Amino acid sequence: MRVLVIDPDPARAALVAEGLAGVEPLEVRHAAVFREAEAAAFGPDVIVVASDSPDRDTIESLREATAANPRPVVMFVDRSEPGLAEQAVLAGVSAYVVDGFSTARVRSVLEVAMSRFQLMNQLRQDLDKAKADLASRKTVERAKALLMKERGLEEDAAYRLLRKLSMDTGRPIGAVAADLLAYANVLKGNAT
Amino acid sequence: MTGAGRLRLGFIALNDAASLIVAQEKGFFAAQGLDVELRREVSWATIRDKVTVGTLDGAHMLAPLALAVSLGVADGEPTPLIAPLALNLNGPAVTLSSRLASAVGAAPDASGLARLVARRQAEGASPITLAVVFPYSVHNYLLRDWLARAGIDPDRDARLTVAPPARMTELLVDGVVEGFCVTEPWGAAAVAAGAGQLAVRASQLWPRTPDKVFALRETWAAEHPEAVQAMLRALLRAAAWADAPGNRAELVEILARPHYVGAAAPVIAGSLSDMVFYAGEANAPLPVHAGWLLSQMMRWGHIGQDVDIAALAGRVYRPDLYRVAAAAEGLSPAPTPDSLEGFGEAGVYRLADARAHAASAKLSRMPTD
Repeated sequence: MRVLVIDPDPARAALVAEGLAGVEPLEVRHAAVFREAEAAAFGPDVIVVASDSPDRDTIESLREATAANPRPVVMFVDRSEPGLAEQAVLAGVSAYVVDGFSTARVRSVLEVAMSRFQLMNQLRQDLDKAKADLASRKTVERAKALLMKERGLEEDAAYRLLRKLSMDTGRPIGAVAADLLAYANVLKGNAT
Repeated sequence: MTGAGRLRLGFIALNDAASLIVAQEKGFFAAQGLDVELRREVSWATIRDKVTVGTLDGAHMLAPLALAVSLGVADGEPTPLIAPLALNLNGPAVTLSSRLASAVGAAPDASGLARLVARRQAEGASPITLAVVFPYSVHNYLLRDWLARAGIDPDRDARLTVAPPARMTELLVDGVVEGFCVTEPWGAAAVAAGAGQLAVRASQLWPRTPDKVFALRETWAAEHPEAVQAMLRALLRAAAWADAPGNRAELVEILARPHYVGAAAPVIAGSLSDMVFYAGEANAPLPVHAGWLLSQMMRWGHIGQDVDIAALAGRVYRPDLYRVAAAAEGLSPAPTPDSLEGFGEAGVYRLADARAHAASAKLSRMPTD
């Protein structure tokens, strides 16, 4: 497990390493400030950031912006902020906010964060795929309607033609349908 | 006494937290019978979380963040916030690294930068990296608009990243970023350190630029109307104090303290000139300002196209609460405008045309059908 700890105080990195003793292989790296290039080179499985680190905004923006390479973020909140962690988790505000810090809990906290992160990521990917499938189905419907009108085909004949084009070219039926619509527009003079 | 108990208000180390800091330091909160604990936070994400869950009662907040939290797009469930007061106008500025600035010339438009971006693309060099303070910030939208006006696509032709304001100078020196848009004094600090040059001030692009607001949870404000009015009266007095030329030296001394802004006093002194805390009813929370920012957010695809901009702007920005406080202070606020002049390239911006404006803006991510 590769863990990147961003904390002005090096003590937290030592506690994380101690709490993860026995995990093999393990690499815990500490940095007082977050540097994107360093983090990318290290490729952490999870980032632990102190709640009082000014780099939180940077790390959070990466989580949103770089969908290609997101990382779970665990944030440990000090006991001097009573209630913040529980309430933040309840409100779904921040990814992973955990109250207090003890070596005994480090491993379970990081593991829960990582699996929850994977679950959320999977859900997001499923949603994206569902949206793409829906868009593709709509395109196929429009291409089918075009073939029925221009070629005088029945609905299932139009669909079979699209499917044949898809198999002949080895491309998804949605892509073939989109091409057909685009070419039709060119032929009609709608596109420049 | 307002019955609200001890109030916890958050701020970030920036010049535009001045009214909150002054209200505390010069006793304007106390004079209204308020017991306020001012807490400096280190990130906007923390401000957002603490206001949302109620460990802060109110805060100094980026205007777009208050709108994003109300809409539920800034991580987490929607939490309706209100902005009954604007804390400042002007203050953000675009600063470029000295090397970049000498390569692209001194023009306040980004045309020189556009030529450089094109040259770098032709050479296959890495794209220019510019930093803002938070995704939902005036700075992000201002920088995007500035780039787009010169034909630079902020997502395709450049790399926009997020960094803490106080670290911008260091990132510029290290070459991690080549420019940034932040609120003073951090632009001036980079210039003073010889690391950067001012390219354009917000006020040159969006006259009397809206920036930070005083934000509260809508439910909390509804339960504590007297405390809200008392805070607004205190903040209005503090804003007037902060704007008075005779108080500048003392304001600089207060802001420079390590637990407030914590920048060098001469840097702060030089960076206040363009900022407005009070004059010309700067504190009126204008829904048309919120609308302008929401149009920018919609333009770049950061909020859904189905958002009713005028309705949301009117729910979050609360000139009605401001007007009660202003009247109590003996002011007679002007009617609340519903249009802006000189913002963007369209000439006049009307709240009623917010969506159309977003769709027709240069490089808009909205479909044109």
